[in-house]
Amino acid sequence: MDVRSQVSMVFHLDKCIGCHTCSIACKNVWTDRKGTEYMWWNNVETKPGTGYPTRWEDQDKYAGGWTRRRDGKIELKSTGKGKIVFNIFHNPHMPSMDDYYEPWTYDYQNLFNAPEGPDQPTARPISMITGEHIDVESGPNWDDDLGGSPVYAKNDPNLEGLSDIEREQLMAIERLVFFYFPRICNHCLNPACVAACPSGAIYKRGEDGIVLIDQKRCRAWRACVSACPYKKSYYNWHSGKSEKCILCFPRLETGQAPACFHSCVGRIRYLGVLLYDASRIEEIAKLPDEELIDAQRSMILDPHDPDVIAAARKNGVHVSVIESAQISPVYKFVKEWKVALPPHIEYRTLPNLFYVPPMSPVMAASNGATVNHVSSDFFHDIDDSRVPLQFLANLLAGGQTGKVRYALRKQRAVRLYRRAETVGDVSKEDAAQALKDADTSVDEVEAIYKLTSLCRFEDRFVIPPMHREEAIEMIDDPHERKAAAGFGFMESPKRGA
Amino acid sequence: MKRGFRRRLPGVLVLLLTCSVHAQDPAEYFKQNCVSCHTIGGGRLTGPDLQNVSERQDAEWLVRFISNPKAMIDSGDPYALELLDQSRGVVMPTPQNITPAFARELVALIQEESAKEESQFRGLQISDAPFTAMDIARGKAVFEGRVKLTNGGPACVSCHNTAGLGGLEGGRLGPDLTLVFERLEGRKGLAAWLLNPATVTMQSVFSEQPLQQDEILPLVAYFEDRSKKSAIAPANTASFRFFLLGLFGVIVALALFDILWKKRLRSVRRTQVLDAANEVLHGR
Repeated sequence: MDVRSQVSMVFHLDKCIGCHTCSIACKNVWTDRKGTEYMWWNNVETKPGTGYPTRWEDQDKYAGGWTRRRDGKIELKSTGKGKIVFNIFHNPHMPSMDDYYEPWTYDYQNLFNAPEGPDQPTARPISMITGEHIDVESGPNWDDDLGGSPVYAKNDPNLEGLSDIEREQLMAIERLVFFYFPRICNHCLNPACVAACPSGAIYKRGEDGIVLIDQKRCRAWRACVSACPYKKSYYNWHSGKSEKCILCFPRLETGQAPACFHSCVGRIRYLGVLLYDASRIEEIAKLPDEELIDAQRSMILDPHDPDVIAAARKNGVHVSVIESAQISPVYKFVKEWKVALPPHIEYRTLPNLFYVPPMSPVMAASNGATVNHVSSDFFHDIDDSRVPLQFLANLLAGGQTGKVRYALRKQRAVRLYRRAETVGDVSKEDAAQALKDADTSVDEVEAIYKLTSLCRFEDRFVIPPMHREEAIEMIDDPHERKAAAGFGFMESPKRGA
Repeated sequence: MKRGFRRRLPGVLVLLLTCSVHAQDPAEYFKQNCVSCHTIGGGRLTGPDLQNVSERQDAEWLVRFISNPKAMIDSGDPYALELLDQSRGVVMPTPQNITPAFARELVALIQEESAKEESQFRGLQISDAPFTAMDIARGKAVFEGRVKLTNGGPACVSCHNTAGLGGLEGGRLGPDLTLVFERLEGRKGLAAWLLNPATVTMQSVFSEQPLQQDEILPLVAYFEDRSKKSAIAPANTASFRFFLLGLFGVIVALALFDILWKKRLRSVRRTQVLDAANEVLHGR
C-alpha cells in the first residue's frame, strides 16, 4: 500500500445555474495575458452540446486519453515512443484555432472617433491575434443554453447509443432539456498529459497531486494538448509554452479555495483531500470499462482506518493532511454516498473531479391535446427523467446507467424525505420506501441534505495545510530564499529553451 | 662535430637550391604538360609533332618560344605565325613554372627522344578503321559509369552530358561533350586529351587515377559516334524535365502524406457547421 494524498473536487451539477462566474474569476486571475486569450482553464458547457473545444469528447478525432490494447495493456492514443518520431514535425491530432475560436475584442475607439455619418458608429469585432476586423464565427460557449442546437447539441458525442426517438424528444417542445457542465483540469491520477510530454515538463505534485507544467522545461511540443482527453492543456502562442489549470495552488497554499470554487454562486463546488493507494493506479487503469468506476472507488482509502493512517504517515503524509482527509466532503460524496461520478472514466486517466449528476426538470404531462405544465408527480421515477439516463451515463459513468440511476435515486430519496419532513405532502411511508429503494438511511439522507443545501464555506472547502515551509526546506534554505527572492518573475516564461 | 657541419653547410644549401629550381624530371614534366597537344613521332595533334624539331629551328628560338609562346606570336615572328595558322588559331599556353634553363632541358629531351626508334611520347595510336557497334556500346557504358573505371576515376556522366543519354541526362558541371570529337580534331587529339587531360579541373580529378587505354578507345568511339549523329549540341531540355519531375514528386509526396496521416485531426467545428447547413439546404 502506497498511500498518498490528493486534492480532489466534486461539482454538484444539480446546483449549477450556468452563470459562468467561475470562468470569469479564473480568467481574471490567470488567463488575461497575451497568448492566453483563448484559454479557459475553467469553462461551463451546456449539455447536450459540443462544448469547448468543439466536440472535445470525440476521441476518434482528438485522440486524447488512453486506449486499452487487446493484450490488456494501455497506451496513449495520440502519441508514443514510436509514433512521436514520425510526428516530430507535425502533431496530427492538434486542434486548430477554429476548433477553439479566434479570440476577439471590439473596436471601441470607433464609437468615439468615427467621422460624422448617417448612422450610429458601431464597435466591430477585432481579432485579438491578428488585430484585423473579423466575423465572429465561434466562441468559448457558443452553444450556451442550446444556442445553435441543430449544429451543436445534435452532435454531442454523449448521444451515442440513444434511439432516434430519444434524440428527437431531447429537442421536442415541452420536453426540451439541458443542464450545465462546468469543467476544470481533473488533476488525474493517471494523467495522459504527463505521460505524453517529451520534455518531462509536466509533473504531479507529490504532496497534493496537483498537475503542473514547468514553464522552464516546456519545449512547446504540445503533446499534452493532444494527449489530454479533456482538452484542458492549452498552448500559449505568445510565450511558446503550454499552460493549464493550476488549481490555484498559490491560493491553496495560503488556505484559500481556488478562484472558481470561491466565486461559485450556486455553491456547487466542493474540495477536499482523498487518500488513495498509488500502487494500484496501473492495475486499475488497465481494467475493462465497466469495472473502472468501482475500481477507482476502491482505490480511495478510508482515512479513519488505522492501517491507512499508519501507511500514510510512513509515506510522509502530514498528520494535519490526514485529519483534513477525514472530514473531506469529496470522500463523502464519492466513497460513502456514491453519488458523485467521474467524467468519462473510459479515457482511463482516473480523474479527481467528480460530478453529482443533475436531477431533471419536472416532466410535463400531456392530456390529450392539452399539455399540463404542472405535473402531479413532482418526483417522477428516475427512469422517466427528461435527460435520458444513457446520456448521463455516457458522460459520467462510462456508459453504465446503473451508476447514474443509483446516484439519482439517492438524490430523489433526499427530496422525498425532506418534503415529508417539512411540507408534509409526501407521506412518511412513501419517503421511507424511497429511502429503501435508494439504498440509504435517514442519517445518510440528512447528511447529504446538510452538505448539499446548508453547507458553509468550511464544509465545502476542506483545504489541507500545504506545509510549504517543510516542502521548501527540502530544496532551499528558507532564510536564504527569502532574502534572494524579489517581487515578480525571477525568470519570466519565454519562448525557447 | 659542430665544426664539420658548418663546413659542409654551403654545399647543403647549394644542393637544396638546385633541388627546388629543378624539382622536376623533364620527361615527367613533358608527360604532364605537353602530351595532350604534342607527340614525338606520333603525328600532329593540336600542336605539331615534335620529332626532329631542332632541325626546323635552332635551340635558342625553341627556348624563347617555349618560355613565352604568346610573346613570340605577338612579336610577329614568321615561323611562330605559321605555327599558329597550322594549329588553326590555338595559341600554345605558357608552360607552368618554365625557366630558360628548364626549357633548354626540354629541348634536349625532345632531341634525345627524336633519335629513338619509338619514343615514349609517341602517343596513343588509333587506326583509322571504323569502330564497331560493340566499341560504341562499351564507350557509352564507360561514359555512363555502368562500367567502372579501372583506376577508380569518376564516371564522365557525373559532370558531362552528351546527346541521346535520355532520362535525366548527364551532369552540367562540365561542358557538353556531344561535339567534343570535332572540337579536339578527331581520334588522335581526343585520345591524347583523354590520356592526359589538359585543364586544371580534369587534371585534379584524373592525374592520380588516369584513364586506361582500353577505356580511352571505346570512349573515342562513342564520342565519334555522338558527333556524327548530331550536328549540333542538344538544347538544354533537362531543366524543364527536372521541374516536371519535381512537381510530380511533390504531388506523390503530398498524396503519400495524406494517406499516411489519414487519421489526422481535420477541422471539427467548421465541418460540423457546414454539414448542418447542408442538411437544411438539401434536406438530407
